[in-house]
Amino acid sequence: MSRVGLMPEEGGGSYKLLVCLLAGIGIIIAAAPMAIIVIMSFSAAETSSFPPSEFSLRWYETALTLFSSDESSGSQAVGAALSSSLLVGLVVMVLSVAACIPLAYALVRGQRRLRQSMELLFTLPLVFPLVMLGIAFLLIAESLRWELGIWRLIIPHLALVMPFVLRNCMSAMQSISRETEEAAISLGASPLRAGLDIVVPLMKPGILAGLIFAFIISFNEFTITFFMYTIDQSTLPIWMYSRTVSSLDPSTLALSVFIILIDLVMIIAIDKIIAGRSSLF
Amino acid sequence: MSVSAHEGRPRVLPLPRRGIRVNALYRRSAPWLLCLPALLLITPFLAACLYMLRFSVSADTGAIDGFSLQAYVELAQPYFLRSVWLTLKLAATSTMIVLVLAIPLAIMIVTTRSASWRRVLTVVVLLPMILNLLIQSYGWILLLGPAGAINTALTQLGIIERPLILLFNEKGVLLGLVQTSLPLAVFPLMSAMRVVSQEYLEAASGLGASQWRSFADITLPLLKPGLISAGSIVFAFNASAFAVPLLLGGRRVRMLGLAIRDMISPLFNWSGAAAGGMVLILIITLVLVFSTWLVSRSSVRGVS
Amino acid sequence: MKGAAGMAAALAMPSIVTAQGSKRYDGKTVRLLTWSDDTGLAVLNHIAKPFEEATGAKVIADRTGSTSEMVAKLRAAGDRPQYDVITLAGVGGVTLAADGLLAKPDLNQLPNLEQVDPQFRTGADGHGIGYLLWTGGMIYNTRTFSEPPVSYAQLWDESVQSRLFLPPATWTDALDTVFATSKMLGGDGRDAEAAFEKLAQLRDRLLTFGENPTQLVELFRSNALDIGGVYAPAFFARELANPEQSNMGATYDLEEGFFADLMYTIMPKSHPGDDDVVHAFINYTLDAGVQGVMAEAVLNGPVNTQAVMSEAARSSPFIIKPEQLSDKAVVHDKDFIASVREDWIKRYTQTLS
Repeated sequence: MSRVGLMPEEGGGSYKLLVCLLAGIGIIIAAAPMAIIVIMSFSAAETSSFPPSEFSLRWYETALTLFSSDESSGSQAVGAALSSSLLVGLVVMVLSVAACIPLAYALVRGQRRLRQSMELLFTLPLVFPLVMLGIAFLLIAESLRWELGIWRLIIPHLALVMPFVLRNCMSAMQSISRETEEAAISLGASPLRAGLDIVVPLMKPGILAGLIFAFIISFNEFTITFFMYTIDQSTLPIWMYSRTVSSLDPSTLALSVFIILIDLVMIIAIDKIIAGRSSLF
Repeated sequence: MSVSAHEGRPRVLPLPRRGIRVNALYRRSAPWLLCLPALLLITPFLAACLYMLRFSVSADTGAIDGFSLQAYVELAQPYFLRSVWLTLKLAATSTMIVLVLAIPLAIMIVTTRSASWRRVLTVVVLLPMILNLLIQSYGWILLLGPAGAINTALTQLGIIERPLILLFNEKGVLLGLVQTSLPLAVFPLMSAMRVVSQEYLEAASGLGASQWRSFADITLPLLKPGLISAGSIVFAFNASAFAVPLLLGGRRVRMLGLAIRDMISPLFNWSGAAAGGMVLILIITLVLVFSTWLVSRSSVRGVS
Repeated sequence: MKGAAGMAAALAMPSIVTAQGSKRYDGKTVRLLTWSDDTGLAVLNHIAKPFEEATGAKVIADRTGSTSEMVAKLRAAGDRPQYDVITLAGVGGVTLAADGLLAKPDLNQLPNLEQVDPQFRTGADGHGIGYLLWTGGMIYNTRTFSEPPVSYAQLWDESVQSRLFLPPATWTDALDTVFATSKMLGGDGRDAEAAFEKLAQLRDRLLTFGENPTQLVELFRSNALDIGGVYAPAFFARELANPEQSNMGATYDLEEGFFADLMYTIMPKSHPGDDDVVHAFINYTLDAGVQGVMAEAVLNGPVNTQAVMSEAARSSPFIIKPEQLSDKAVVHDKDFIASVREDWIKRYTQTLS
């Protein structure tokens, strides 16, 4: 008789077959639209019939010229949208992680009740109706009459990334034993020093994953940004939207592939950093 | 100076008064002080929630003015109730499907030896959630549309005469919901899987349990808390979905997110939208609290 | 500098470029909000860009949204709008004017208005300046129909089951559809009761709502759609010019008539930019040349009676010229539409989804 396991190496019969079958269906559902977009972006034809009859890189060339030649017209300029996307993403990632490190510490070391309620609180932005949140943020921002500038976008994004960042920091924190801190304190370090010099470095994988995660979510966020963007502060997904909604020319697909690549690199980076030791959520 | 996690944790001797010292660290830094920055960052979100709550009881539909429960009363129409029912139905169905697909996917990712394959799987599962859905919807149309690749193939093979309508209805929305929420279940399940140690399963195999038996008797019970919390997140995420029903439902599948948007524009009934939002939030919060309670109950039982 | 420019504008000089050759609005900015679809893109290419070149002003354009999203955004912003000028459907202009959010443009600073057909000069109580005519009829598949359909009744034909689309409830075209159904049943267009009853028959025959014109193009190209309406050919200028590839045709020649809506350019109260350059921009949208180019690009009807069009555009059946607005054209009473709008949108959604 063969040995059992989550995924037995040999044998496994109907169990293994079913696991592979269902996982295969899952992978197809997840990847099919992206695969088609990637294939279509290499099409040589003007129209988007699938599968393409000929392949070329022409749409990539068109997409590249968008970056170099787009001179004016505000929110039409992809360069401006890209740079504010990057700025928002960077600020969001730094602030959210800086706030989640102490929180994760407090929750993992704290009482169970505090932990449960805080975890619930910080899960809410993930499951909130984004449309509603968008209009609420917009009405508040307008009624406060403050010149928020780029913070119009950063503040809502911060709420959205917190669930992901916190989970990453907490799972990293969970693997740190109390003894480590105690050792530092017994050697004369102040609690704050012990936290900064011992705990934070040990949390590094979770922190890095949180940083990248925050960036990915912010970089791709659409629904709330759709309400909050202004003519001067817009992001790449908004630019993509106003472009794709009117016409689906393959250069947009080429641009999507470019965005897929950015996300891909970052996800692989997270996976490398946490290398199966921690989880993404 | 910094101790890297890779080098393993330094083993230290038990120290006298250790409990007191750590407690001192914890107490002196005060849990609330540690929570403060994060709470500060999430305050605008809470303010937005309160703002909606206030708006939902406004007497004016376009501005906050006076108090009235009119917006809630008006929700008790078939127009809205059908959306509630549809939302519950689709969120529940998609959650079931997601869990059925997520367990094997998590098993596959956790047990994959090759790091590069694991990365490919991770990317494939994670990307749909974050990538611009407008673009993905074109991908779906090219594949599943009435003249998409699948229908063309089936027609040419003579299997069907009229194209199957796979999009612009509840099926299409369900597919999109499953696709975008899959990572929310796969990744928590992956970490739950690591708890299912090989030793348990080997012990079972030593006792002569079959593959299916050990899955049903050992893996599943150990995964239960993970399944409940993953399921509740998926349900909540899908109940508040907006872009998926908009783009893959052909606007014919009016889930709550869409109904709320229609109230914002073109109906400009903002208090109604806020009231609808509060109903949705209530449903979601109830599901989350209930699942938290379920998880804590099952883990307490597990300990005792 | 500013004073001089203001004075020049007050004099309403017909030419925009000053004698010295330096451009008149150098350093000034116009913030424009327009549609996210192809019609908005055309505004950018055929109005904003040449305007920038001619005057030295900078046009910052935001083209994300439909008319109702524009109205929502402006309402939320209240008395602190971020836009100087907005192009939108007639009903949006009327709504915003009723909210008291719009400024009345100074007609003396819009010399091009003289060339505009008098019935299309202003609207929304003087807050909206006529822009172009939005016209809606039926879109059909040229492979299925050798002759264009002649009545909206075609939507109920057995042969087009699961191959038809309707406008989304959020668009004014949905109200037109209710109107057309009522007329088809012999009513005056306002008999919503009977119309909704008839429309209910389409619920299970509908493939999709035409929320996204690009999706529709894809569905027609792949021969998955036969017919739809009331819908504007405006979205499909490129496709209608090339029916062999797109399979798309459009017609206004219907028993129940077609629909025409005067779109407006509007100017919010306390808008950020200078009045003179905003007026110059609005005036520029009415220029005979610009109107002709726009009509050709997005198949909207020009309001300038002297619009300069190519021979092809002048004979194009898809572009309705002011003089062609016979009794076949349904031009809604905007007050009536405003009064039934909310109810009809709700019932349209309820009936069909």
